[in-house]
Amino acid sequence: MRTLGIDPAAAASPSAAAALTEEPLTSAISATALTKRYGRTKAVDNVSFEIRPGEIVGFLGPNGAGKTTTLRMLAGLVRPSGGTCAVLGGIVPGPGLRQVGTMIEEPSFYPYLTGRGNLRHAAILHGGVPEARIDEVLSFVRMEQAADKKVRAYSQGMRQRLALARALLWRPQVLLLDEPTNGLDPAGIAEVRESLRDVAGEGVTVLVSSHILPEIERLVERILAIDRGSLRYDGPLQGLLGAADTQSVSYEIEATDGEALRTALVRLGLEPAPRGAHGAVVSVSRDEAAGLLARLSSDGVEVLEARRDAATLEEAYLRLVGAEGRPT
Amino acid sequence: MTATLHVLRAELFKAFRKRRFYVLAGLYWLLLPAVTLITATVLDRNLTASFANQQGAVAQALQGFASPFGLARLALMGPALMSPTAYIIAVALFAGLFVGEERSQHMWKTTLAVQPARLAVLAGKLLAGMALLGLLLAGGLLAATAAGAAGTLFLPTAFGGPWGQIAGLFALQWLHLLAALTLAYLLVFLVRSGTLGIILVIFLPALLEGLYTILNTLAQLQPLTRFNALFQALRLKQAWAALPHYFFTANLYAPARHPLGSFLQSTGTSQNAAPGPIGNLLGQGLTLTHALAVMAGYFLVFGAWLAWAMLRRDVE
Repeated sequence: MRTLGIDPAAAASPSAAAALTEEPLTSAISATALTKRYGRTKAVDNVSFEIRPGEIVGFLGPNGAGKTTTLRMLAGLVRPSGGTCAVLGGIVPGPGLRQVGTMIEEPSFYPYLTGRGNLRHAAILHGGVPEARIDEVLSFVRMEQAADKKVRAYSQGMRQRLALARALLWRPQVLLLDEPTNGLDPAGIAEVRESLRDVAGEGVTVLVSSHILPEIERLVERILAIDRGSLRYDGPLQGLLGAADTQSVSYEIEATDGEALRTALVRLGLEPAPRGAHGAVVSVSRDEAAGLLARLSSDGVEVLEARRDAATLEEAYLRLVGAEGRPT
Repeated sequence: MTATLHVLRAELFKAFRKRRFYVLAGLYWLLLPAVTLITATVLDRNLTASFANQQGAVAQALQGFASPFGLARLALMGPALMSPTAYIIAVALFAGLFVGEERSQHMWKTTLAVQPARLAVLAGKLLAGMALLGLLLAGGLLAATAAGAAGTLFLPTAFGGPWGQIAGLFALQWLHLLAALTLAYLLVFLVRSGTLGIILVIFLPALLEGLYTILNTLAQLQPLTRFNALFQALRLKQAWAALPHYFFTANLYAPARHPLGSFLQSTGTSQNAAPGPIGNLLGQGLTLTHALAVMAGYFLVFGAWLAWAMLRRDVE
């Protein structure tokens, strides 16, 4: 595993993380009745949650749900209209923000500076970052080769990785990441995912939003789902998947006679979707699932193969936010 | 304070990698002395032996603007007599770099995420702008002096002059630019457009002051107009008449324009040449102490407004 040189004990230890407070820290990030209004529109409405030190939490929501606004409030960039938020025990805005690394929406850089130049500028601006640290984070995001090129020549993926490097420069104890895999190819997505795992492995608290739900699924332990400004789910990933599991199960079935298979499924009151010449995909309740194959057999359908699809985060999420809340 | 120094260092790191600083410095440090020396040489070669040189008038003029002291005085005064002045162009360019660019490159969110102390960011950016303006002015003084010294080798000029006074005026002019820089940052920040902000910085104060001059002239030509009567009724006549003493532009350039009289005298031109109806705009009759106090007032107002806006604004 690549390491960032973060002292795991220091990063994970609640007392060390609570550098700004005397008491042991129970939450690295907290929001209490957080609200943001733009005119009459409530972008974020009474959102409350707590994230413990060292947790890695996925933040889901459709476009305009309030994810970015919430992250901006946590980063001190946007003033809440109501409620409060705190980072590392300190109310935002406050000195606790110096321990936060952020990637909010599209990463931005000075295009006339090199990648290394942009990192050096950020290091000087933040203060207390040794020169060697720049090479460390460049190596961590595998950007050593391109570090001395002007940023205006960078691809989207390179900019994303450079932004991640910048967010890690001062060894933050909290990372707020908004769509960190935006614009990346599959290999780039996998790299960022691995990087984030490594970061989380070193005890850094991570709140990450992403529209690529399978990526979130592979990365996080806990989900916050927001829709139309309100928090709709706050709990473990398995809890959300389990909730989906209890409602229905998806089967992909292949039979010797596809037409007979689909007719039999319709007769059972189901809505099969054709899958090739001999197959169908059907969603059944868990109660019906147990006897499905036996009933097909008794209807004279010769089943060759039946695969049960595990509930995915995407399905679970769509159920949670409803059909109109397409993932963004 | 530490955060402010971090911001100052970071902004200077950025500024020294921008071409515009070197272009400005090149124009000011090299072009002005070079053009002056060439002009002086042409005058020396063509007029010294002519009828124009009665009682050593040419040598006196050359000493006035091409000697080390004369060139230093010209380096202070020249930029303030252009339109728009080179000072305000430099101020606007630095405002574009330190404030406008943060918006055009979508860098505010990054800057304030990296350094969340907003007032420190503001103070650091103001200090960086002042540091660069100071560097430009100090370089201008040194370059002009050096060019003037070189000129003594082939022109009938010599060292000598009230050097302490001219150095003091350079320092004072630099201090006055703080109010202009704060106004520039404020306008660029408020209008959320670097280009529009720069245009406003360059033209807005002069536009308002020019408008006053037009209204004032009209009032004097037609003393019984309703406009004049209104001011009479509101007992604002005296305040209205005193307004030019508090003009931003006139007070801003007071130190640089201060040696205008001695310059005209040294070059043989009458110092009593009246500037006419635009005398107010050129700061006629303003003392340096008064101008400094006025600019300090402007700085406090613009600075407080800018700090308030900086603390309150959401960064999208």
